[in-house]
Amino acid sequence: MSYSFCLEVSGDFACFTRPEMKVERVSYDVITPSAARAVFEAILWKPAIRWHIRRIEVLKPIRWMSLRRNEVASVIPAGAVKSAMKQGKGHLGLYIEEDRQQRAGLFLRDVRYRLYADFELLSPDSDNTTVKFAEMFKRRASKGQCFNQPYLGTREFSCAFRLVDSDEPIEKPQELIGKRELGWMLYDIDFSDIENPTPRFFQATLQDGVLIVPAGDSEEIRG
Amino acid sequence: MILQALYDYYQRKAQDPESALAPAGFEYKEIPFILELREDGSLNQIEDTRFIENKKKRAKAERVTQGVKKTSGVAANLLWDNAEYVLGVDTKGKPERVKEQQAAFLEKIRALDLADKDKGINAVIQFLEQLDHSVLAQQPLWEEITKTNPNLTFRLQGQPYLVCQSRLVQNALSNSANDESAKATCLITGETAEIERLHPAIKGVWGAQTAGANIISFNLDAFTSYGKSQSFNAPVSKEAAFAYTTALNHLLGKDSNQRMQVGDASTVFWASKEDALEDSFAAIWGASPAKDDPDRNTSAVKAVYEAVEKYGRKPAVGEETIFYILGLAPNAARISIRFWHVATVREVSQRIVEHFKLLEIDRSERDPEFLPLWLLLRAIALLGKTENVPPNLAGEVMRSILDGRPYPETLLSSAIRRIRAEQQVTYARAALIKAYLNRLTSTENLTVSLDIENPNQGYRLGRLFAVLEKIQEEANHGLNATIRDRYYGAASATPVTVFSTLMKLKNHHLSKMDNKGRVNNLEKLLGEIISEIQDFPSHLSLKDQGRFAIGYYHQRQDFFKKRNKTEPMTTANSVTTTDNQGDTE
Repeated sequence: MSYSFCLEVSGDFACFTRPEMKVERVSYDVITPSAARAVFEAILWKPAIRWHIRRIEVLKPIRWMSLRRNEVASVIPAGAVKSAMKQGKGHLGLYIEEDRQQRAGLFLRDVRYRLYADFELLSPDSDNTTVKFAEMFKRRASKGQCFNQPYLGTREFSCAFRLVDSDEPIEKPQELIGKRELGWMLYDIDFSDIENPTPRFFQATLQDGVLIVPAGDSEEIRG
Repeated sequence: MILQALYDYYQRKAQDPESALAPAGFEYKEIPFILELREDGSLNQIEDTRFIENKKKRAKAERVTQGVKKTSGVAANLLWDNAEYVLGVDTKGKPERVKEQQAAFLEKIRALDLADKDKGINAVIQFLEQLDHSVLAQQPLWEEITKTNPNLTFRLQGQPYLVCQSRLVQNALSNSANDESAKATCLITGETAEIERLHPAIKGVWGAQTAGANIISFNLDAFTSYGKSQSFNAPVSKEAAFAYTTALNHLLGKDSNQRMQVGDASTVFWASKEDALEDSFAAIWGASPAKDDPDRNTSAVKAVYEAVEKYGRKPAVGEETIFYILGLAPNAARISIRFWHVATVREVSQRIVEHFKLLEIDRSERDPEFLPLWLLLRAIALLGKTENVPPNLAGEVMRSILDGRPYPETLLSSAIRRIRAEQQVTYARAALIKAYLNRLTSTENLTVSLDIENPNQGYRLGRLFAVLEKIQEEANHGLNATIRDRYYGAASATPVTVFSTLMKLKNHHLSKMDNKGRVNNLEKLLGEIISEIQDFPSHLSLKDQGRFAIGYYHQRQDFFKKRNKTEPMTTANSVTTTDNQGDTE
């Protein structure tokens, strides 16, 4: 028996960065399945379970804002870390004030979504039962507990969440009525080949503000 | 979304034989000189393709093989390049490097391996092998070529097309693209295809490097993820990368009428299907004041008005045609997206009409009927200069127009700041404030011309101030400075501090006037305005300062109206009658 949960998340800003425009950031129009998964995982994640996003409902019209921010330009080289480990001393610091890049971003503002998901039990045994994790999630989510603050795409855009009964009525903005093609959207990163993680994409369509996410093993997911 | 739409645009345009979009493997490039060769590889003549446009020489754009990405290293284009590569002319005093460049150029042509099949290629190779500068130096254009290092390409004598345009070259290029390397899912088309490592540059974004910049680029370590290099961070197939860059370069091109400058953002727009809005959109915002047709802006807006009025909210032709607007701004060798708007043609047209209706306000005959965007923005900038418009503001204004949402707050505050600094309520500023306030709250109803019913304190005080100024002007003809120059700022922000002084001054002015009938009328008008003002408030909020400006502007325009109609203002009532006429027009 599988349990389905619905979380309502909202935040002032969000950025679900598109891979093709991740330097001068541009967000996807709506939350991506992987970002939604991260919200569920922030509330409950155990090695025994894997979350699957099924459906995303958009409750606020899609609004944009552009902003420039300072971000860092380099990464700490792995070689420097290795040599520091070997020698027992070294310099690992990276001073953001000295190594800045100004980057522009096109972000979403004032967002609210309903995320529908269920989880899969990877290794069911007497200790790991579906009911156990379902109850844990329900208890934690309804109390507002989380391992880390859930966020909308990037960590600086944290969000509020609440557990929703799936029959709770929703009001949809008039603007979202109709069909919108959002193009190819990132589904998730496939880590099965740890040397070369590959992104997986699916054709996202927003019908009256609802995005149906295909199952992870379906043909609609490519990559 | 953005790239998909550009990709679709390329597909649409590529179907159209009239369009100037290059096929895969080619691009359009301005080539000033063409070397015409005989079959034996000797030079026949150097053809000058340039023509005069706007008093400047411009070269004809030719379809040539797609240029490679130039970096500091030596990288030759196929069959065309600058004089250093083609002829080995040393323009920068680096003979070693030029030798290398020329060798690379020749090697690239040899690598095609078409010399025995294509006469043109054969001639080019022969020409390059026996290159003799002393022969070339006899050419009349030689001096110019050595000085300016222009782009050059070849043509075989008697052939109508360039050497690089021959069918054999074209075939060779399309076949060479199929080597199996990194394959992945393209995030534009969704097909599994070969991934482009470095995308072609995008040129023509105002303020970006002239060599072009990129939307998709990962030029620093911090931008990459999962150990991937360059564009493998964002898998885009070679075909799609070519298509979207070609489409975007076409839209941004010099001759494109689908681009305009919105503040610092180079803006392009296109529709998913052929649509009239594509052609008129730039003119609506007054982007290109064409010399031959000064009314283009007005007529373009009128056309949109008509279209909207005709169809209203009913389904119209092209209703489902999607209109895309993309604003690009440069940032550190990359291009950032300033704004991106997608809506149907009908929605966009309606928003445009709404915007211009909000701006509508009394004006003099000289002023343009529809205010172009740049005029609006200049009106709130220091010294009226475009470069003093805050960089992000133009894009924000554009966005709020297209979204049909309140204008940015900076618009009101800067308009009021400029008015106070210059003591000038201009047409553009008044229109802007009216539009801002009317859109901000649905209950606000600032009218096009004088509204004597408007009870708002700010509005009334603005009117009062205009009348006081008028009295002063009529009492002392030919004044250089009026009370406006000294008191406007204080009157609009802290009325209580100045209005008592002004009211006293007014009595002096009225006593100086000879025409007693006129004095009577003005006093009546004053009384009518003041009747709604209980007390001079100690200060006015920013919005009320805006209404003050509108009241002042309306009242002042109203005085001008009388003068135009040479109809003497007799009583305060006459104001009512003319106003009503204005409404019914």
